[in-house]
Amino acid sequence: MNNFDTVIGLEVHTQLKTDSKIFCSCSTQFESPPNTNICPVCCGYPGVLPVFNRKVLSLAIRVSLALNCKINRSIYFERKNYFYPDLPKNYQISQYKLPLGEDGYIELPSGKKVGIERVHMEEDAGKLVHRGDCSLVDFNRTGLPLLEIVSRPDIESPQQAYEYLKYLKLILQYIDASDCDMEKGSLRCDANISLKPAGAGELGTKVELKNMNSFKGVRTALEFEVRRQRKCIERGDKIFQETRLWDVDKLKTSIMRSKEEAHDYRYFPEPDLLDFRVSDDIIEDEKDSLVELPQKKKKRFVEKHGFSEKEADIFVTNPWLADFFEQTLCFHGKCKDVANWLLGPFLEQVNNLEDKFNSVKISPENFSKIIRYFVERKINNIGAKKILALSIVTNEDVDKIIEREKLAQISGTTELEKFAEEVMEENPKPVKQYREGKVQAVMFLVGQIMRKTKGKANPGLAKEILERRLKQ
Amino acid sequence: MNKLELSRALDIAEKIRKKEIDEGEVYDSYVKKIEKVNPSLNIFVDVYPGKERLQGDSPLRGVPIAVKDNICVEGKKITCASRILKSHIAVYDATVIKRIKDNGLAVIGTTNMDEFAFGSSTENSCYGPAKNPWNKDYVVGGSSGGSAAAVAARLVPMALGSDTGGSIRQPASLCGVVGFKPTYGRVSRYGLVAFGSSLDQIGPITTNFCDCAYLLNIICGFDERDSTSVKIGAPDFTRSLDDNIRDIKIGIPKEYFGEGLDGEVDSAIKKTIDFYKEKGAEVKEISLPHTEYAVATYYIIASSEASSNLQRFDGVRYGLRTGSAKDLKSLYLDSRKEGLGGEAKRRIFLGTHSLSSGYYDAYYLKALKSRRLIKNDFDRAFEKVDAILTPTSPTPAFKIGEKTDDPLLMYLSDIYTISVNLAGLPAVSFPCAFTKGNLPIGAQLIGREFQEDTLIKLGYAFQESTDYHKRIPELDL
Repeated sequence: MNNFDTVIGLEVHTQLKTDSKIFCSCSTQFESPPNTNICPVCCGYPGVLPVFNRKVLSLAIRVSLALNCKINRSIYFERKNYFYPDLPKNYQISQYKLPLGEDGYIELPSGKKVGIERVHMEEDAGKLVHRGDCSLVDFNRTGLPLLEIVSRPDIESPQQAYEYLKYLKLILQYIDASDCDMEKGSLRCDANISLKPAGAGELGTKVELKNMNSFKGVRTALEFEVRRQRKCIERGDKIFQETRLWDVDKLKTSIMRSKEEAHDYRYFPEPDLLDFRVSDDIIEDEKDSLVELPQKKKKRFVEKHGFSEKEADIFVTNPWLADFFEQTLCFHGKCKDVANWLLGPFLEQVNNLEDKFNSVKISPENFSKIIRYFVERKINNIGAKKILALSIVTNEDVDKIIEREKLAQISGTTELEKFAEEVMEENPKPVKQYREGKVQAVMFLVGQIMRKTKGKANPGLAKEILERRLKQ
Repeated sequence: MNKLELSRALDIAEKIRKKEIDEGEVYDSYVKKIEKVNPSLNIFVDVYPGKERLQGDSPLRGVPIAVKDNICVEGKKITCASRILKSHIAVYDATVIKRIKDNGLAVIGTTNMDEFAFGSSTENSCYGPAKNPWNKDYVVGGSSGGSAAAVAARLVPMALGSDTGGSIRQPASLCGVVGFKPTYGRVSRYGLVAFGSSLDQIGPITTNFCDCAYLLNIICGFDERDSTSVKIGAPDFTRSLDDNIRDIKIGIPKEYFGEGLDGEVDSAIKKTIDFYKEKGAEVKEISLPHTEYAVATYYIIASSEASSNLQRFDGVRYGLRTGSAKDLKSLYLDSRKEGLGGEAKRRIFLGTHSLSSGYYDAYYLKALKSRRLIKNDFDRAFEKVDAILTPTSPTPAFKIGEKTDDPLLMYLSDIYTISVNLAGLPAVSFPCAFTKGNLPIGAQLIGREFQEDTLIKLGYAFQESTDYHKRIPELDL
């Protein structure tokens, strides 16, 4: 069997997080009833003109900077011409010859560097809905601001493509440029893939893959395509430059159009929008507003907070959790205590919530009380978990819960002495076993005290008292 | 009514203001005249009976105004004289219409034109050709032929047209009225159905420069809905209504007086030059060496932009949809085949071809370079002169049907006006003579960017001393 190198490049379309569309003032609200976020401009009525939303530029610059791109200062839009019913003007306003960002890169957590060829702004098309023998168009999506991010063919495997997408999404979410929700269509991905003999300099014929609707889908489609192309080459067949569609049900790709059928988009400069230059101010503003990017955050969590790389990754992939951690740290300064509770019981309970992190309401301050009371032995482990369960989606005051649910630990010695005496009388067998040298028998007696106190006893103290009495 | 016909729009507004006449009666009398004359001249495509309540005030309050059928008036038909839009109702007011309404003018109806402004004779209209009020056998020019003829026949005191390569000035010349194309960016294009987006400009058509200045005051100015409109504040153009033109330097481009120029037009322009000399202007010959490339350059750029602009007329959302579509492709093909006229198709082919991969560099890109050279010619000329005087059109009005079979010959009707759009400059055509056959001849004045005022001054001075603009065609109904 021959050895092949896999060469993959990805084209990601992501919706930028703005309140209004890119060339008109219509809302970008998702899930509005069909054709309610529309106006003559985004519906391409006769006589309308586009006006560029500058918020789009700011976000696009932020993304370009985060992807280490060179920013082209001279901005102009071009028209990409093709007929389709979801495109009201039958041309899309996009950037072509001179994209906003060029020559950037992303460094994946694995250390692999993937080049970014270009980052450009454009408008989204509408959505077609097919019902029986008719097709309907929803123009709510028409004119939503998109950023197209094109990688260089630096990706070497379907798994690496998957990592690239996950990491790109993380960056875009970090800098608050996009929601990156594939289900809402705010992130879409096409892939280019070719094979070449291992080590060969010249690239093979590339095939474009479309219609993948999840990151895993991208990986599976690429894996299929690697196998298909490999078989093809091994059979001695030619790979044709073509566009193929991924079929998520049949788990295979099939041809959509050949190179000969490719559109001639007749790009030319959009005459309705004037060229302009990006000012230093906008770039400086966006540089200032750039938050800590994932790699840097990871380093900080390892070096400053003492997490392992694996633990740090949990925070890096979940900026919300990282923020929550650091905010809780402001109220309870012991990193280890907070980490134990956050990565332990807290995450466990969040995973059982229907809306996961979206339903969490507890404030870092309130959460810090649970940790502190536990450390101070005011409440025990079971009680603390119960309090967390009661407050995690309500943010009810922890002190109030303790009072209402009577969860304060019994730490009074006299009270516990009484329970210890009772338990020893009722369970002569383990008492005997302990005194004969089987010291772990004390744990049974501790359990009995916990049962009698409905879990409110401080187990450590109960054990101390029992041991003292057993040794008498 | 006869008195009204002799009046400037400004005088009509004054009479209304002084309550000598009622604005409702003025409106109705114009509607009545349009209804009487239109069946034989085919100038209007829609007339709005019954004046709507006017809002706002200005020196032109109460004046009826006609609008070319490619400018959106909310709730009214907007068809661009094309079958493909024949049922379309505008859903919003163009910015110029909003300004006109805010200044108390009364929009009275829409005027005939070449389909989507493709043409120089108003023969390429789905409504049939408009006829010249000076002689019904002759064309009105185009593409704003209906607006120019409406003002010439005194069916309305003033009108709006649009000018992409001469579409205001050439019909103004052929009908004997004042047609002004402002600097590109001076007037908002929002609501003007686009032909060549980098060339289109809306402008006034009036009988005289005084009305022209007042109407410019209303329509000029920055509009946030049009990114190509300029933020430079427009001056008060009425301050240029002053006939002291001493020491203004006028250039005469030698390239504009060559082959193809009609003898009567040539001598009329020479007399106009003499007039300006006598009035104290300094006249000198200049050169615009790249003039010969203007027509070719223009037809590539304008058609390229048009081919893209017209893609939205596809039968999917509004306008004509074929009844015979079997699938998406035939919906597109048949709707456009049925809905678009011959000249529109010709320009779409031309533009689509020019933008196609493999041809882009040789046609579109080259045309952009040539456009730059033409602009440079003007820049150099305006270092020496303040305005340029030329014929507007090489010939007076020609006969209906005379050039319809020869598109190239038709394109040459705009040979003197096209460069101005490529360079984005202001220019105006005004009547400067009549032929022996009693057809009007127009002279064109071209100015520096944003210096419309010089043109108004020169035109006003001419009209203060002449009465060509006061001649009214005798309508042979």
